[in-house]
Amino acid sequence: MILKTKQLSKSFGGLKAINKVDFELPKNEIRGIIGPNGSGKSTFFNLVSGIYDSDPGSYIEFDGHDITFTPPHEIASYGLSRTFQLLRLYQDMTVIDNVMSGYHTRVPYKFFDAVIGRKKIWDQERAIKEEMMELLTFVGLADYAELNASELSGGQRRLLVLARAIAMKPKLLMLDEPAAGLSPVNVDNLMKIIMQLKEKYGLTLIIIEHILKVVMDTCNSVTVFDHGQKIAEGTPAQVKDDNAVIEAYLGKKMDDEEMRKALAV
Amino acid sequence: MEKFKSIIRDYPFIAFIIAFVILAFVPSVVFTDVYQSHLATLIFVNIVVAAGLNIVKGYCGQVTVGHVGLFAVGSYTAGTLFLYLGLGFWATLPIAIIVTAFFGVAMGIPSFRLEGPYLALATLGGGEAIRLFIENGNFFRSTFGISDIPTPSLMGYNFDSPDRYYFISMTIMIIAVYFSFSILRSGVGRAFMSIREDPICAAAAGINVKKYKILAFILSAMFAGAAGAVYAHMPPGYIHPNNYTVIEMVTFLAMVVLGGLGHIWGGIIGAIVITIVYDLTRPLYKYQLLIFGLTIVLTILFMPKGLGGFIDRYFLEKRFKKKTGTEKTT
Repeated sequence: MILKTKQLSKSFGGLKAINKVDFELPKNEIRGIIGPNGSGKSTFFNLVSGIYDSDPGSYIEFDGHDITFTPPHEIASYGLSRTFQLLRLYQDMTVIDNVMSGYHTRVPYKFFDAVIGRKKIWDQERAIKEEMMELLTFVGLADYAELNASELSGGQRRLLVLARAIAMKPKLLMLDEPAAGLSPVNVDNLMKIIMQLKEKYGLTLIIIEHILKVVMDTCNSVTVFDHGQKIAEGTPAQVKDDNAVIEAYLGKKMDDEEMRKALAV
Repeated sequence: MEKFKSIIRDYPFIAFIIAFVILAFVPSVVFTDVYQSHLATLIFVNIVVAAGLNIVKGYCGQVTVGHVGLFAVGSYTAGTLFLYLGLGFWATLPIAIIVTAFFGVAMGIPSFRLEGPYLALATLGGGEAIRLFIENGNFFRSTFGISDIPTPSLMGYNFDSPDRYYFISMTIMIIAVYFSFSILRSGVGRAFMSIREDPICAAAAGINVKKYKILAFILSAMFAGAAGAVYAHMPPGYIHPNNYTVIEMVTFLAMVVLGGLGHIWGGIIGAIVITIVYDLTRPLYKYQLLIFGLTIVLTILFMPKGLGGFIDRYFLEKRFKKKTGTEKTT
């Protein structure tokens, strides 16, 4: 198990955004998380990555570390990387700086070496830059490396955010709606890149996605959230036919008798 | 030429040594009177302050308006150390840097909770508090100021006139700029920039936001402290609380903004331009603040990345065109 939560809860005032969720994720799996808007998917991400503090009684374990009360930067240093629904691109930095800032946890040198400006630092910085350029070439942004991130198009921004999250060589990558707002062609392209990256870096993935086709095609397993609770879990095929899931998305499924009653009144 | 470039790339300090040698010949070759050396020293002091301010404001994005207070701490540490203990420049400089670093920590702590204009207000209060504390404290000779602070001497050679003190201020400036260059070019500079752009995302990427914010404040305070000590020992060796008012702060801000916030040479370009303009417009002293206020506003409106960013942009567009054959404009 790379990620495990027990009784994970989070309430905002009286609202239980996440309510006693037990979640387990084995290594090398691609897990999809679906659920209606406001069902707690993004809150779940924010709790796991440490951006929100979870309520007392919760327990989160990542790769053998208890990260329930760990600050986000330390969680990242254990190898958990994530993207944000609203991208949170570093608008006023160049594309290459964006990606290189994702490398932060792997920077090998110490602060005082950097102050003195030893040769070793510049060699290592160049090596980092080369590695990150390779990554940019891989996602197809190499030509734009020196432009400001704010000058990219919507699809390119999604790729850049992905590259930035990969830069730290994470063990677990959490993608919050990676394909939101993309055209179908771009979605296919993006999913292809994500799959290639998974192979290349041996990633475990959690993907929040509203485009069900993406989830059904790529994920090994799916967890469904509704009103802060986990209502179903299983392979995409199992989840698709689960009554609770259909209810959450489309309303209650009625049998013939109930239907006749409802219509007859 | 290629070989020379790669040597500079590996050992950037060689470029700074070359700059040192060139600047060392400037007084004897270019300057015609002592006043120009004095002005050059002022430029160097301002460069050090602006380079520090660029770290915390330009790179780390923390809007601090109390920087002039840190500058005052540097000056008055040097001044009081001379006044009560009779220490000379070589002792007061490092002590001033260390003391100011501690004040930098104090100035930086509000940044954990405040941002933008609120942080500006808090630091403005901090800076003014330091000045008023000095002005009303007999310990600091209050409004009389501290006078006759001695110039440094090295191996029997006394840097006692502006054209001699030029070398001291230039050396400190070159060292300070070299440090700021190294810090900002490394991963530390990138961490600062990420915090400026988006602290939450920076934290999720593994950057310890609080640690780096305080680091930025400490570093910039150390620059201000060094500049303050150099300023205090500058002939005629006189410091007065009126040299550390909000007006000075506005000129420091104008330097960084005009030069380019978050540009590696930003503070330096701005300090040179603004100090010279400041000196040339001395007869119009009534309107000077107006001019600098307008400079800040107009630069932010029409050249948000300052002179440095403007020049960068020009070369970037050229390179991009050469590489892809297409225009890229925003």
